[in-house]
Amino acid sequence: MRKEIKKTWQFSQSPQEVWEYLTRPELLEQWLMKTNFQPIVGYKFYFIGNCDDSGKAAAQCEVLEIKPYTQLSYSWQANSVYDSMPFNSKVVWTLIPKENGTELQLVHTGFTGLDDVIAHNDGWTRIGNNIAAFFNTVKQ
Amino acid sequence: MTTQTLDAFQVIADPSRRQMMQLLSKDSMTINALAENFDMSRPAVSKHIRIMYNAGFISIKDIGRERYCTLKQDGFNELQDFINYFDKFWENKLKKLENLLNNKAKAK
Repeated sequence: MRKEIKKTWQFSQSPQEVWEYLTRPELLEQWLMKTNFQPIVGYKFYFIGNCDDSGKAAAQCEVLEIKPYTQLSYSWQANSVYDSMPFNSKVVWTLIPKENGTELQLVHTGFTGLDDVIAHNDGWTRIGNNIAAFFNTVKQ
Repeated sequence: MTTQTLDAFQVIADPSRRQMMQLLSKDSMTINALAENFDMSRPAVSKHIRIMYNAGFISIKDIGRERYCTLKQDGFNELQDFINYFDKFWENKLKKLENLLNNKAKAK
């Protein structure tokens, strides 16, 4: 079972140029979502729209780390389906300079509570089958 | 009994429920045996069990006088769907960014 999201994209632009698109609200709005992001560690911001049409924040975030033109990370607290109990996760952008541009890596991890539950998930199918066999025996 | 339906993320957001699922991942357990591991009232344990049951994380079977809880795949599938949703979300967004930057490069 997968518990994180990883994406790698190549751009012909320089890391400096790509960085602009990750950190300037007016540029972020063009491809991601409307936001009041500021590149300041500890700054709390939000993304609005696109996830749903309610006009509510799609994600509440806080800047965790900034290494200009290299790495940017923020917490990502999105609302779940019934939206009374949000989950916390983390988004990390890494820019790697390449000969012909930039490699951009995205890692979205740490969906709260998932790790410790899913860590046990691989084994449970086998166990579940054993239990089912046990139940069948008991019934007979 | 009033039934409370929470989505998969609300279900796992609670530490007690996560602990219960961890215990159940090792073995199927009776509600009583499960309750012994927690410092909470039996009705409180039952409520958590009901929540996990409603969200498809466990199944309950009566054997003799005991009720056995067993971990079930459905709840986990919903979590997986959610991660897949975000996977698609980022894929779309990054494609948009790619188009944007490609157009920008062409305009130069």
